[in-house]
Amino acid sequence: MNILVGTLVLMMLAGWVWRRLGTDANRAEAYSGVRRMIVTNAPRLVIALISAGLFAELLPEDVVRKYLGETSGFGGVLLGTFLGVVTPGGAFVSFALAAGATQAGATTPALVAYLASWALFALTKVVAEEMAFLGPRFLVRRVLVTVPIPVMTGGMALLI
Amino acid sequence: MRSPKDTADRASAFSRQRAFDTSFLILLAISVFAAAAVAWLKGPWRVAEIAVAYLGFLAILTPKILCGFFVAASIPILVPREALTRWLGRESGLRGLLAASIAGALVPGGPMMIFPLAASLLASGATVAVVISFVTAWSLYGLNRTIIWEMSFLHIDFVLLRVALCLPFPVLAGWLASRVFR
Repeated sequence: MNILVGTLVLMMLAGWVWRRLGTDANRAEAYSGVRRMIVTNAPRLVIALISAGLFAELLPEDVVRKYLGETSGFGGVLLGTFLGVVTPGGAFVSFALAAGATQAGATTPALVAYLASWALFALTKVVAEEMAFLGPRFLVRRVLVTVPIPVMTGGMALLI
Repeated sequence: MRSPKDTADRASAFSRQRAFDTSFLILLAISVFAAAAVAWLKGPWRVAEIAVAYLGFLAILTPKILCGFFVAASIPILVPREALTRWLGRESGLRGLLAASIAGALVPGGPMMIFPLAASLLASGATVAVVISFVTAWSLYGLNRTIIWEMSFLHIDFVLLRVALCLPFPVLAGWLASRVFR
């Protein structure tokens, strides 16, 4: 049901964008962008979706429940924050892990903190890419003003 | 009028991420390891069972993902990079931080596209605070990643809650930066 609604919303958005593109040349350019995205992402998506199922099977439920589950509280938020920093690879790895952990009993606050922390501070991304393009000075400043975000958003999720 | 050079720039921005780069190899290594572990613990048939179940899910997701790709591929054509750079380079104050947060959410692409774009924002006169808002918004809820990928793996209610909780933080981080770093 959720997927159906999401699909319909994106279809309408795609239809609107198709009209806005106006000319055949623009549309052809968009199609070639779509082809490049398929080439880059299809193998990743296939592997990551299967991995999500494998992770759900492997993650020990009692451990996940204890440290990231209902009763983990703020400790779960802190652990999620730490795991986000050290998760290697791109978005697919972290989403597959989060999906697996959800099935194994991890709760919303820990996952909110995990995904925010991964998005902001994942070492493989920050060191290899942000530092390379924006330099250490920008990176340090950016990290300093965003460092509370995973713990704060996870903490807010605890209160809901 | 768009020149052929614009088109080439946008094309190179898209193709910057190769299909088989380091992040792909990391994903592959982790999944091979997980498959081996499941095969060893529960038998190879269990791996096949999981693969079939989750690939069935992929078939359901495909139309949504293709529509998402089309929207993501169209945004750089509808809003050329130069226009965005000029716009955010000019804006400052709270308006600038808000504009940067919205732009960060809307601009599609992975880190290899966003960080060079952020660098060109700095070069064209945007303040550090504006660029911090831009990068933070893209990180926390870039719509491309959130709608196409996160919603494919996680429940939509969770994703909406997570985005709602994160909503004010790009502006707040930029504001903090504008106070602390002058």
